[in-house]
Amino acid sequence: MHDPYRALYLHLPFCVKRCSYCDFATAAVPAESPQIDEYVEDLCLQIRRKSKEGELGGISTVYLGGGTPSHVGMPRLSMLLYTLGLSMRLEPDVECTMEANPESLTSSMVRDIWALGVNRLSIGVQSFDDHVLGILGRAHDAQGAKRAIACARERFENVSVDLMCGIPGQSTESFEDSVKTAIDCGVSHVSVYPLTIEPHTPFDAMVLSGQLAEPDDDVEAEHMQAAERILSRVGYKRYEVASYAKPGFECRHNIAYWTGVPYLGLGRSAASMTQNAERRMRIQDGKVTDDLDAGEMAAEDMMLSMRMSRGISDDLVQRAAQLLPKTSETLDALAEQGLCEHVDGRWRPTERGWLCGNQLYGALFDLA
Amino acid sequence: MTDPSHIRNFSIIAHIDHGKSTLSDRVLEMTGTVAHRDMQAQLLDSMDIERERGITIKSQAVRVNYTADDGETYQFNLIDTPGHVDFTYEVSRSLAACEGAVLVVDATQGVEAQTVANAMMAMNANLEIIPLINKIDLPSAEPERVKAEIEDGLAIPADDAVLASGKTGVGVHDLLEAVVYNIPAPQGDADAPLRALIFDSYFDPYRGVVALVRVVDGSMRKGQKLKLMASGKIILAEEVGARHPAEEPLPQLGVGEVGYLVTGLKDLSQVKVGDTLTLAEGGVDEPLPGYREAKPMVYTGLFPIDSDQYEPLKEALEKLSLNDPALIWEPEKSHALGFGFRVGFLGLLHMEVVKERLEREFNLDLLATAPSVEYHVFRQGGEMISLHSPQEMPDPGEIERIEEPYLKAKILIPPDYVGAVMDLTVARRGTFVTMNYLSQHTVEMLWEIPLSELIMDYFDKLKSNTKGYASLDYDFDGYKPSNLVKLDILLSGKPIDALSFIVHRDKAYDRGRVLTEKLKEIIPRQMFEVPIQAAIGGRVLARETVKAKRKDVLAKCYGGDISRKRKLLEKQKQGKKRMKAIGNVEVPQEAFMAILKVDD
Repeated sequence: MHDPYRALYLHLPFCVKRCSYCDFATAAVPAESPQIDEYVEDLCLQIRRKSKEGELGGISTVYLGGGTPSHVGMPRLSMLLYTLGLSMRLEPDVECTMEANPESLTSSMVRDIWALGVNRLSIGVQSFDDHVLGILGRAHDAQGAKRAIACARERFENVSVDLMCGIPGQSTESFEDSVKTAIDCGVSHVSVYPLTIEPHTPFDAMVLSGQLAEPDDDVEAEHMQAAERILSRVGYKRYEVASYAKPGFECRHNIAYWTGVPYLGLGRSAASMTQNAERRMRIQDGKVTDDLDAGEMAAEDMMLSMRMSRGISDDLVQRAAQLLPKTSETLDALAEQGLCEHVDGRWRPTERGWLCGNQLYGALFDLA
Repeated sequence: MTDPSHIRNFSIIAHIDHGKSTLSDRVLEMTGTVAHRDMQAQLLDSMDIERERGITIKSQAVRVNYTADDGETYQFNLIDTPGHVDFTYEVSRSLAACEGAVLVVDATQGVEAQTVANAMMAMNANLEIIPLINKIDLPSAEPERVKAEIEDGLAIPADDAVLASGKTGVGVHDLLEAVVYNIPAPQGDADAPLRALIFDSYFDPYRGVVALVRVVDGSMRKGQKLKLMASGKIILAEEVGARHPAEEPLPQLGVGEVGYLVTGLKDLSQVKVGDTLTLAEGGVDEPLPGYREAKPMVYTGLFPIDSDQYEPLKEALEKLSLNDPALIWEPEKSHALGFGFRVGFLGLLHMEVVKERLEREFNLDLLATAPSVEYHVFRQGGEMISLHSPQEMPDPGEIERIEEPYLKAKILIPPDYVGAVMDLTVARRGTFVTMNYLSQHTVEMLWEIPLSELIMDYFDKLKSNTKGYASLDYDFDGYKPSNLVKLDILLSGKPIDALSFIVHRDKAYDRGRVLTEKLKEIIPRQMFEVPIQAAIGGRVLARETVKAKRKDVLAKCYGGDISRKRKLLEKQKQGKKRMKAIGNVEVPQEAFMAILKVDD
């Protein structure tokens, strides 16, 4: 028996084009392609099946990600959201996020998805600097991004934008301007990702051939710190290493990933996590990618919790310590190194712990 | 027992990569010793590492029967010799067991340094040399040019050189016939007391030490009491026989025959290569000439990365020593690296092979410090210390003088590269001795060069400065005084004993500067700043700093990313296993070898 799923992820692996840094499970497919129809119909069937099996009864957050969900167009989104509404309880207390890109998000789409139960929009803006957008190979410009946010805000109170930092050719000033523009546009949530060069992407090839400078860790650290400074000044709280929100607008679906909550992923390459008290498995495309025992689970829970500002509760530490005897010793050593601190009954990452997260997570991972 | 007139003992010698092993395999196949389907490429090289590197480390002897065109059947003993300058002495002993040698020269490469060195050794051993030009199937083969090189450069008549291809098998029949007609039959006195040469030995876990032998006079029978003349040890011949390469026990080995002897001894060091076997009672007094103790040339510290592996490392060294008497080791303690061993090797290749075997066959993670040579340090008052490790260097005030080992190096190059070799070798403190034109295309340069310089990637540099044309051979030339100092490397202000090394005073500043720069690249950024300094005594010559790490995080970590993240963290963990924590600084293995890669 497994614990009930609490979070549902639906993957739509289609984009108008592939960005130069992207290694996600997605492909550039024209919006009118019958391939997308087939895929969405199949996804609807999977939702119906899981509903019938009773797996969707405990779902409290839904996330339509991609790819670019907005790229598939309103008729297919209607079908998908309508199916979802029939298959599970999609009341306003259920957080339902959809990802969109500026080039395919329209006013009418905003109105329709809102009516069908989506209550959070996450827009892939990345930058408000046309030069930087060009380097990234994005399909939109700064003007389009602003327009998309304005459209979204006509219906949605909960709008998030993604921004990237540390891009070669992106000045600190350009990045800071993008953060400020996002604030001015009135979004309630901002995610800030430093660029990573992934294997087999055009950027990877460009770095190898010397056309593109490798992202500089120092610059990325500087940008991440600048984001924190600017956003916290105007009331956005950093609740996770890369996530900032106005109070009450934290993404509950993502928090589920970081707090060991079981999730179901449907669609190509979507990961599911199923577990009970003794065992945790992650499954992707029918293959088990992780199979953890209770000790490994506890270590993973601590590692993921350390991404979040609220950190690890003493309670979790105690539970972990019973399985992993070196837990307290390790946390003390990490505190000694200035990577975390013990405050009000919780172990929390410090700024340094966030920036050098792999040190922090690595030490916790190594416990099991 | 075969009549000596129908025995032919020979060796195949060649420069590395000229195709010796492939050709040996072809001989075995053509004489029907090994069926083609049983052939594993390069059958005689039995260790994985030998096969991978295409080199022979241990000698082998295989007996084959060959029915010649004259209708007679001959016993061939093919003795395969190690193919590297580290093992020169072993080669000389294997050659002493032969009457002839097949000198293999690559039809495209021509005569190279080891061709010359091996031919010289074969001539010194009074062997009949059959030149063989190999790889004639290649489109770029130039047999006529190579023949001229053999005649001009080696003074060996090459008109009748065998033209062959180990790959296609062409010419192998000609070779077998040439062996019958050109290589003399062994001479020896069948009625005299036994004299037999040990040309190699190995440890068999079930039978103890097995020696490969060549009977010179008399005969060796199962059950005889025999004496090892160098060690004085008396043994019982538990079994004698021939290898095809499968072993065939025989009642006895007669004059001129080559085979194996099971001694039952447990300690390989008692059965020394080059030693003479005679009868325990009524034996000869005079051993065969040419015996020498194997002596290590290069020393390195070997430390387990995980201190729990100290005992397994010790056991592994004990096991390897069973079959490698040239491997010498003693415990060593480093402040930086903990407990390990100081290990002496015949040369750099020997060192690499042993380290690789320890890691691969015994599953150990090892850290090797930069190789060093044996220095002779004379204290005030005359006492001499043999220094194997820079750590043991006495205080400069106590030292009267230091001597270091020199080599006589022979370099073969086309004339165009004389200048390049001059520049490089002088920069490596080499002293030019002389230069000869072996032919219009080949110059032989002779040098005296400190061994310590040669082990600092001299050979790689020589190759790259001569577009790969140079070939090198060397011999030990004795100890000479040098103005040497110990250079210390400090990390975070603390001297790291395992990184210190001995260097000529004139080079100390440059080496120190370049090494600190290299270490700055090699040592990854840590959670704190790491200053790197090079110093002699208390005087700092150079300083670099590894900046503290500011950011090390992957921001995205959603559903499917978590598995990926776990993989990355697992990789990070494995990566750390390849590093040694010195104090709180994580130092990768390459750091300890960086000194070898210091460009001039």
